[in-house]
Amino acid sequence: MKRLFNSIITLALLTLSGCATTTPRNESRLDIISRRNSLVCGISGKIPGFSFLDSNGQYSGLDVDICKAFAAAFIGDSSKVEYRPLTAAERFTALRTGEIDVLSRNTTFNLSRDSIGGNGLSFGPVVFHDGQGVMVSKKSGINSLYDLASKSICVGSGTTTEQNINDALESLSIPYTPIKYQDLNQVVSGYRQGRCQAMTSDRSQLAAARSSFPDSTDHVILDETLSKEPLSPASVGGDQKLSDAVRWVIYALISAEEKGITKDNIKMKLQLAKDNPQLKPLRRFLGVEGDLGKKIGLSNDFVFKVISSTGNYGEIYNKNLGSNSNVPIPRGLNKLYKKGGIQISPPFN
Amino acid sequence: MDYMKFFSKKGDVRIHFNIYDIILNFLILSIATFSSVKIIVWSFFEANWSVVSKNLALFTFGSYPYHDRWRPSIWIIYLLILCFFTIFNKETKKKRRPLVFAWGLFVPTGLFLVCGGLGKYPIPISYLGGLSLTIMLTSCSLLFSFPFGIFLALCRQSELFLVRNISKLYIDFMRSFPLITVLFFGQLLIPLFLPNGVEVNRVARAVFAFTIFLSAYIAEDFRCGLQSIPVSQIEAGKVLGFNDFQITSLIVLPQAFTIALPALTNQVIGLFQNTSLMSILGLAELLGISRSLLANPEFIGSYLEVYIWLGLIYWLFCTIIAMLGRYFEYQLDYDGNNR
Repeated sequence: MKRLFNSIITLALLTLSGCATTTPRNESRLDIISRRNSLVCGISGKIPGFSFLDSNGQYSGLDVDICKAFAAAFIGDSSKVEYRPLTAAERFTALRTGEIDVLSRNTTFNLSRDSIGGNGLSFGPVVFHDGQGVMVSKKSGINSLYDLASKSICVGSGTTTEQNINDALESLSIPYTPIKYQDLNQVVSGYRQGRCQAMTSDRSQLAAARSSFPDSTDHVILDETLSKEPLSPASVGGDQKLSDAVRWVIYALISAEEKGITKDNIKMKLQLAKDNPQLKPLRRFLGVEGDLGKKIGLSNDFVFKVISSTGNYGEIYNKNLGSNSNVPIPRGLNKLYKKGGIQISPPFN
Repeated sequence: MDYMKFFSKKGDVRIHFNIYDIILNFLILSIATFSSVKIIVWSFFEANWSVVSKNLALFTFGSYPYHDRWRPSIWIIYLLILCFFTIFNKETKKKRRPLVFAWGLFVPTGLFLVCGGLGKYPIPISYLGGLSLTIMLTSCSLLFSFPFGIFLALCRQSELFLVRNISKLYIDFMRSFPLITVLFFGQLLIPLFLPNGVEVNRVARAVFAFTIFLSAYIAEDFRCGLQSIPVSQIEAGKVLGFNDFQITSLIVLPQAFTIALPALTNQVIGLFQNTSLMSILGLAELLGISRSLLANPEFIGSYLEVYIWLGLIYWLFCTIIAMLGRYFEYQLDYDGNNR
């Protein structure tokens, strides 16, 4: 019996070690996605305006629309997305282990996340330029960071947010009391309950939170920006085919806005491109001639598929964060470069 | 307790008051009245329950596809009917057979209904959310951890050195970890150890983590039962010519189970509540789905309503589990100690 037991253990160990030595395949994730016929997209699921559950049980928001654009480009159907709500802690593991294909989860693009020595991700273009701000109530009489001296500030713990406010106020040698909460929603309710005179987070999130206040006009976001937070979708590093595709889908969204192509008029524009052989840039962009799509492993008409299902970047922005949406955030840096922002797409040549 | 005699005559039992009791009573009563009035006023006039009433389906199914919601609903109704019949069943032993059978089929039915091929297409279990996911996590974890726990408990009693000590080591090892670390291990580390391209879905990983954790505790509960069986029972079995397997399965285990039952009920209730830990690991179970919902701009800030609602659901299900536990105690009480 004893011997039998020992041999069973040895066998089990052998099998386990056998599992660990399978060779990795040199296949692009993009091929896997189109073979699987569905895109697994990592989102937060808990950020107003970016990704949240609506009452129909569908995810919506800016991050979610970016996922839909990817699915439209990679598979041809923007509904073929499987959303994985992820916490900040597990998002990079999920990407590295292949549990998700792309990450579209309010992730700040920075060196250590992009580099091989760090998280080893590959970031796409910035879909939302964010920055950390401080929100106070108008009545408090706080107008600048200096007025925050010896006030208490609500902040989410363990984030770069906490670090930034500390760095900023320490360098100005302003004393303050941080009141730490686990997540943003708790920070908001702490601020609402009057446990602190100011709250700090990314400006987008402050605006989102403010939009839910019954007295939303009584609160202001200070002009000082404590950090830059360019939020980008990410894919796993070392897979150029996928990261190229991710990059150019985002650029297609921006480029479409530059060219004035919208969800409503794209069919017209396509017809226009087909009828007029002299409109070379438009014809290339929409895949009527040349094979720009093929070069990045997608179909030539991927721009048409993307824009006709999600609209261009401006439309996505307005739908989720525009002034008529539930979470109005002024576009600021996210305007096109022609209109005073910094969103720009390299040419589709 | 001398002051109690202050008003009493001839030591008969009466309601005795002294000044401290009066103050204390008054204080407690006024606090109770004040807070209950506040709670009633808040819940009927100030609270905005639309966050609950508009999202009942979400709390139950999560982001499960709209047209297939009947699948988990059938399953949950099946569970409730089963619980009802079990708790209010006063039938004799023989007529209980179908009930036992139905309980045994509960998890397979659920898996088949929810993610199997009943519709035209299979639905990945990762779409499941809300209450159905909580029930799925609880029932699957129980299904696996009970046999494993019993196995461990028996191993621990074994006369073979290696078997006994490996089991001991495992149990002590598992009990020395907080549950949350085991869950983190399941969600974050297991995928790193797996070879490229092999992917185990998150629900299965959570069930795995719960199983390896809970079975250690179930094993210890069972050990209590096993150790309280007198040796004479086993000897009697041997005299009757039973083999080891028969002795264990017919004599020892049923009695051990009866003794361990209250402790096991405790574990089940604990597990049901512990599934809420998965919400910080990104699974959209009951608590997770609520947190997602609270991010909806329409409902931001309705924490109290949502958490009170969650508390009610957890209370309801834990009560059902407790009642089931009591029912089994009653049914298995051969000596009639509890009647």
